[in-house]
Amino acid sequence: MEAAARKYKAKDYKSELKPIWCPGCGDYTVLNALTRALAELGLPPEQVAVVSGIGCSSRIPAYTSVYGFHGVHGRALPVATGLKLARPDLTVIVTGGDGDGFSIGGNHFLHACRRNVDMTYIVMDNQVYGMTKGQASPTTAPDWEGSKLTPEGTGINPFQPLVVGLASGANFIARVSSSDPVNMAQIIVEAIRHPGFSLVQVLSPCVTFRPEQAEWRDIVRTALVDYTDDAARAARRLMTDDGFNVGKVLYKGERPPFRPEFENTDGSIAELEAKFSL
Amino acid sequence: MNETSPDSGAIRTLPELLAHALAMESEAAERYGELAVQMETHHKTAVARIFRRLESAERKHLGELEEMCKKVELPHYAPWDFKWTGAESPEAIDTGRVHYQLSVREAILLAFEHERRAAEFYAGIAESAEAADVKQLAREFAAEEQEHIGWLEAWLGECGPGDALATEDPDPPLGQE
Repeated sequence: MEAAARKYKAKDYKSELKPIWCPGCGDYTVLNALTRALAELGLPPEQVAVVSGIGCSSRIPAYTSVYGFHGVHGRALPVATGLKLARPDLTVIVTGGDGDGFSIGGNHFLHACRRNVDMTYIVMDNQVYGMTKGQASPTTAPDWEGSKLTPEGTGINPFQPLVVGLASGANFIARVSSSDPVNMAQIIVEAIRHPGFSLVQVLSPCVTFRPEQAEWRDIVRTALVDYTDDAARAARRLMTDDGFNVGKVLYKGERPPFRPEFENTDGSIAELEAKFSL
Repeated sequence: MNETSPDSGAIRTLPELLAHALAMESEAAERYGELAVQMETHHKTAVARIFRRLESAERKHLGELEEMCKKVELPHYAPWDFKWTGAESPEAIDTGRVHYQLSVREAILLAFEHERRAAEFYAGIAESAEAADVKQLAREFAAEEQEHIGWLEAWLGECGPGDALATEDPDPPLGQE
């Protein structure tokens, strides 16, 4: 607790556009946690950019008052990488879902972790493609029979985003639950402050196509062990974890972020465009 | 996993109490407003009306409170440093507990639960605080929350049999074939 009035309030980071997510959706909590985190960091809205791909959760840039880019399915990370490299002064946050990030954008995810550019990736994982009406996603359990496309389940083991992120070089890894927005805000603050690529998995129920996920709030538990900076230990923890240990940072690495040297150019936009003309 | 915060006994000074009250009323007003928008978006006008009425009441409280705080230097609390007894401020309805088929009665009960929590929070401060001004103001705040509880009890009494039922959805979400 500090004795100082803050310049920004969480609502200052929300746009006039009202979300159209289903009532009960975990993504509402993520929007609230993200805006609280930005207020706590005291970041001027014009110094923050939120980048997303496609999906319910990828609508977040429209609901914030900071710079936003609602891009192409699965391509949020390369757009954000380019933005951060061109404008290292900006705080870059990427938001999206499990399908967007781990399937369509799966390869970008691997290499974003590997590159370790200083940005924060918040993945709202509901183990389903909600926007397209409920198909199995990369993180769906193999025996989920809720989609007519996979009536007997996919039969495929789910993608393990935190393990893969760790193995690929993500510098900060945490898992939180949408049932605890204040804790989520705290973890997002830590993720933004930590240099390099920060990955935050949010267990965010899809109340429409995975109504059984409403039980997650009763299943999740606060992780007992504090974070480690030892990737091997973190890997062992994550490999033996059931996916419901939440609320704490799991791994904080010390790898320096990727910051390429640039030569400043005095060229105008027209001159730059001319170099790309065919 | 949400019961992690210390109790309301940790609030001992008037600025601390006002900082908590300001956060609580502000979050409650915003949350009721957000829920009203959600329900309006899904054409649940009767439920939306409940949340709008509550938003309006909270905004009135908030305005009075902001006026009261003008001459007080309030301490800053990070969202996770507030002395709530749950994950969020007691009056803010958990967004994960609503549904597009929420009935009027369910909406009132949900609001009732959170208004009661708010009243208990202030009552707890009134009981545990040592400073007379903190006790007095916490009692006043608790009484204001009791007033909301009274409204909600009255609204519950006015509910007809249809208000208890989840609204029918003529076009329910179906997985894509």
